[in-house]
Amino acid sequence: MATIMNRQLFVLLARLALAGVFVTAALPKIEDPVAFASSVGAFRIIDSELSAWVALLLPWLELVIGLGILLPAIRRTSSILVGLLLLLFIALHLSAWMRGLDISCGCFGAETGEASADYRWLILRNLLLLGAVTLVHKQDRQNHNAAPR
Amino acid sequence: MARFFREISFIIAISVLGAAFSLFSGLAPLPWAEPGLAAGEIWPADARALQVIWIDARNEADYHTAHIPSAIYLNDEHWETGIIELMDAWLTQPRPIVVYCGSEGCGTSKRIAEHLRDTLPDAEIYSLKGGWDAWLQ
Repeated sequence: MATIMNRQLFVLLARLALAGVFVTAALPKIEDPVAFASSVGAFRIIDSELSAWVALLLPWLELVIGLGILLPAIRRTSSILVGLLLLLFIALHLSAWMRGLDISCGCFGAETGEASADYRWLILRNLLLLGAVTLVHKQDRQNHNAAPR
Repeated sequence: MARFFREISFIIAISVLGAAFSLFSGLAPLPWAEPGLAAGEIWPADARALQVIWIDARNEADYHTAHIPSAIYLNDEHWETGIIELMDAWLTQPRPIVVYCGSEGCGTSKRIAEHLRDTLPDAEIYSLKGGWDAWLQ
């Protein structure tokens, strides 16, 4: 019983951490989409017009799934989308690292003073978040399967 | 599966509504509009037209490979030596100072420009829009 309680507490903390990170990351980008578009463009994968579309839509998606991971009605899908986004970010950072790009992450907006990306730390951070989202998603699936139909 | 698609449609719809709010409230520019200058930035064409002091904030290897003629190499690792050279150039002939790094989103030029504004409050200091990539075009 105590093990189950501990596990549920751990999952709740992971859920809150993921929500906190995604909401905190989304708000400055919603506030300053021009700077975020510039950070997206720096990865040199898409052109500037597409970067502007990404900078417009992605922060709102991050905000909705960041809050959604706490809401029972959409938390399963939100956790899947959070996981997919984290995989995408890891792939983008790996790609930029391999190409030797000197860019700032832009992960929490492109505020002045942000240092050049430390790719090892960024990838490690996203892998930790991916671990947390796997835990959360597993719990959601268990709850879904155990729920009366 | 149907529930998954219902939820994903809901999430996408809310996100699109949010993006529409950003557009209509003026928070975000139209994505198809020409990109504008952020505060403290200067276009390469304008910087070329002015007689500016160039600051190269990229890494040492990039600087040695190629740099804007007479650019001073100054970044966090070479602050002490670079700042002396910059002060010397600026005090001899006060001109606008333009800092550049590798590309549009490298961030280093904005950071160095910010430090320089603290160090030389009387100087006119910009970061180059688009960085070295834009200079080459």
